[in-house]
Amino acid sequence: MDFELTEEEKAHRKEFFEVCKELEGKRPASFVGFEATYEIDECWEYHLYCAKEFAKRGWLALGWPSEYGGTGTMMDQVLFAEARGYHRIPGFDIFGVQMLAPTLLQAASDSIKKKFLSPIARGEVMWCELWSEPNAGSDLATLTATAIKKGDEYIINGQKTWNTGAHRSDWGFGIFKTDPAARKHHNLTFILLDMKTPGITVRPIPYMDGGAPFCEVYFDDAHVPAENIVGQENEGWAVVNLLAGFERSGMVEIMAMFHELEELVKYCNETKRNGQLLSRDPIIRNRVAQLACELEAARAIAYRIADLQNRNEMALMDASAAKIFYSELGERFAFFATDIAGPYGQVKTSRWAPVHGAWEKAFQECFVTTISMGANEIQRNIIAWYGLGLPRMK
Amino acid sequence: MDLRFTEAQEILRKMARDFLATECPKTLVRELEKSEEGYSLELWKKMAELGWMGLVIPEKYEGMGYTFQDLTVLLEETGRNILPGPLIPTVISTFPILKAGTEEQKEDLLPKIARGEVIITTALLEAEGTFNASGIAAKATPKGNDFIINGTKLFAEMAHVANYIICVTRTNDTTPPEEGITIFLVDSKTTGIRCEVIPSIAADKLCEVRFENVTVPKKNILGKIDKGWPIVEMMLRKGAIAKCAESIGAIQTCVEMTVAYSKERVQYDRPIGAFQALQHIMADMWTSMQTSRYLVYKAAWMESEGQPCAKEASLAKAYVNEVYKNVGKWAVRLHGAIATSYDHDIPLYYRRSKAADIAFGGTDFHRELVAQEIGLI
Ligand SMILES: Cc1cc2nc3c(=O)[nH]c(=O)nc-3n(C[C@H](O)[C@H](O)[C@H](O)COP(=O)(O)OP(=O)(O)OC[C@H]3O[C@@H](n4cnc5c(N)ncnc54)[C@H](O)[C@@H]3O)c2cc1C
Repeated sequence: MDFELTEEEKAHRKEFFEVCKELEGKRPASFVGFEATYEIDECWEYHLYCAKEFAKRGWLALGWPSEYGGTGTMMDQVLFAEARGYHRIPGFDIFGVQMLAPTLLQAASDSIKKKFLSPIARGEVMWCELWSEPNAGSDLATLTATAIKKGDEYIINGQKTWNTGAHRSDWGFGIFKTDPAARKHHNLTFILLDMKTPGITVRPIPYMDGGAPFCEVYFDDAHVPAENIVGQENEGWAVVNLLAGFERSGMVEIMAMFHELEELVKYCNETKRNGQLLSRDPIIRNRVAQLACELEAARAIAYRIADLQNRNEMALMDASAAKIFYSELGERFAFFATDIAGPYGQVKTSRWAPVHGAWEKAFQECFVTTISMGANEIQRNIIAWYGLGLPRMK
Repeated sequence: MDLRFTEAQEILRKMARDFLATECPKTLVRELEKSEEGYSLELWKKMAELGWMGLVIPEKYEGMGYTFQDLTVLLEETGRNILPGPLIPTVISTFPILKAGTEEQKEDLLPKIARGEVIITTALLEAEGTFNASGIAAKATPKGNDFIINGTKLFAEMAHVANYIICVTRTNDTTPPEEGITIFLVDSKTTGIRCEVIPSIAADKLCEVRFENVTVPKKNILGKIDKGWPIVEMMLRKGAIAKCAESIGAIQTCVEMTVAYSKERVQYDRPIGAFQALQHIMADMWTSMQTSRYLVYKAAWMESEGQPCAKEASLAKAYVNEVYKNVGKWAVRLHGAIATSYDHDIPLYYRRSKAADIAFGGTDFHRELVAQEIGLI
C-alpha cells in the first residue's frame, strides 16, 4: 500500500495549487461559500473567468481520452479538486465538467460527444441539471414532466425545480417522461436542451439566506431536437444512475474545510474571551482537534475513492459513505465555528463578521451537500441494500 | 498511489486469518481471560514459527525484516479474530532496542524475541495515569556502575510473564519533565520487583509492577541518560498506530457479525435487518469503519516510510478510539440481549474497545497532541 504521488503528479499538484492561489487573489470579496457562484453577478463573472483560465491549460478535460482534447489523468482530477477546494475557486462547472462530460464519454453517441464535449472543455458552455420536480424528489423516477416525440423533435411540458444555476446556464440536461404508458424506469429519456429554447421559463427561488442559487423551470410546449438525447429513448434512467455516480467525491468541500480549519485555528489564536485566548481553553482545543481528526478521515476516504476510480473499479459503497461523512462533517463544522464565535456567529458578511461571514453562511449552506446529490438517508439505503445486502424496502 | 495491499501483504493476511481461525477460537480467548497467564505458550510458539514476533526485526538478527506497515497488516487480523497475549507489548517494546540498543543488546535479545523465547513489555504509566512525561516519578539513582530504581508502575501489559521490562524512569527532576527521563532494560527476575495483575475490562493482564531498590547495571540503559523521552514518544506513536490497526480488524468483525445476525433474526415476521432504523445504523457503522480504515493506513504508511507522522498517528488514534467504542456499542444494541451474555462473541470485542481506547493514549490525550500539531497556541 502506497500513498505516495509520482514525481509527475507532485509537479501537477504544485501547478494546480499555484494557479488557484493566483486566482484567489482576484476573487471578489462577495464570493463567500460556493453557492455564491450562482447568486451574485460578479461571482458568476469570476466563475466564467476562472473557467477560461482552466480551459486554456486543458484542465477542464483532465483524464478524458485524447481524441476529445483530454489531458492528464484521473489522478490529476483529484489533485486539481484539492487545489480548487483549498483556495475556494469556482470555474469548474460541476454539472458540465464534473458530471455530464464523463457521462457523455461513456454513454453518448459519437455525434453527441463531438457536439458537446469540446465546448465544455473550452469553458464556454455552462450546464444545469433539470431532474427534480415538486412531486419527485428522492423517488425521482415518479417524475411527470413529459417530452413527447413529434417528427424530429420532442415537445416538453411540465415543471422542474431546485435546479441550481438554471438562471445562468446555457444548456441543461434533463430527464423526462417520453412514454407515459410504459412501466417505471423504462419510460424516461435523458435529454440535452438549450435553455434559450422558446417555451422555457426560469424563475429563481430564494434560498433561506436570501440568495438565489437555484430555480424553478417551467416547460410550455418547448421544442427540442430529438437527436439531443443521451442513451436510448425510454432508457434514460440508466443514464441518470451513471451520471449520479460522477457526483462529487467531496474532495473540493473537504479541502475547503481544511482551509476553514486553518482560519478557525487562527481565530482561536487571536481571539480573547473572559481574559483568555480561545486557543487556551481546553474544551475548545479538544473540539477543534476532533474536527481535525474527522476532516483527515474524510480526506482519507476521498483518496480511497480516487484510488478505486484510477483503476476503474466501482466505489459505490465508499462514495456513499464519503458523501454522508463529509456533508455531515460540514454541518458539525458550521455548528461548531458559529458556537465558538459567540454572538459574532450570527453575523453576515460585514465588518463585524469573523472570517468574512463564512461561518454564518456555512450554517445555512450545509444543506446543499446533505440534501442534494442523493439525500444522506438515501445514501444510507444504498450502503445497507447494495453494500451490506440487507433486505430492500418495498 | 496504490492503496491495495501488496501481494506479500495479502499472503500475510490470509495466513494470519486462517491460522487464528483454527488456533485461536473464542473458547480459548475466554479461557485465557480467566487464566492467570493470559496467554498460551503453545500458541506463542506457533506464532514464533510464523515469524510474528520477529516480523520487524532485521534478518541479521533472525527476524523477518518486514516493514512497520506489514506489522499493521498482521495486527488488523489479530484484532479481527482477537488474540490474547503479549504480541503487541513485545513488538512495541522491541522498537526501543532496535532504535537505541547497543550492538551487544541487539545480538543478545533480538534473536530470542524472534524465536519467541523472550517476552518484553514496557512499564510507563504511574499513579497519575497520564501518558505525559510529567507523570513519571519512578526514580533511578546512580550508584557506582549501577542505578537503583524505586517506584510503582501501573498498567504494564503482561508484565507478570515478561522476561524483560522496559522501565521508564526519572533521573533528573530539576529539568522540564521531558528532559530527565531515562529508559532501562530490566531483567524481570531482578530482586525487588513485584508484579500483580490488575483486574481489567479486557482481562488483558495489565500489571502493577513495584520496584523496590532494584539494581540495574548502567549498561542496561537504552539510549542516553536523561534523554529517554523521545524514545517513549516513538513507542507511543508506533503503539498508537499498531493499536489502531488492531481496532480496525475488531471493528470489521463487529460490523460483519451485526449485519449477518440482522439478516437471520426474525421479529414482527421479518428479519430485523429489514427495518430501516437498523439499516441506517449499520450503514453508519460501516461508514465510520471505512473512514477510520484509510486514516489508519495512511499513518501506518507514513510511519513505515520513516516520515514524521506524530500528527497523523494522533489523528488516527483519537478518531478510531471513539469509532471502535461506538461500533461495539451498536453491535451489542442491534443484537439485543443475547450480546449482553458473557458467552457471546460481541462483548469480547465491546470490552476490548475500552482497553484499546486507553492503550497508548486515550482520545483526549491524542486530541491535545492534534491541537498542538494544527497550531493552536
Ligand atoms: C441546494 C440544493 C440544490 C439542488 N440542486 C438541484 C439541481 O441542480 N437539479 C435538480 O434536479 N435537483 C436539485 N436539488 C434537488 C435535490 O436533488 C432533492 O432535494 C433531493 O433529491 C431530495 O428530494 P426532496 O428535496 O424532494 O426530498 P424528499 O425526497 O421529499 O425527502 C424528504 C426527506 O425524506 C427522506 N427520504 C425520502 N425517501 C426516503 C427513503 N426511501 N428512505 C429514507 N428516507 C427517505 C429524505 O432523505 C429527506 O430527509 C437541489 C437541492 C438542494 C437542497
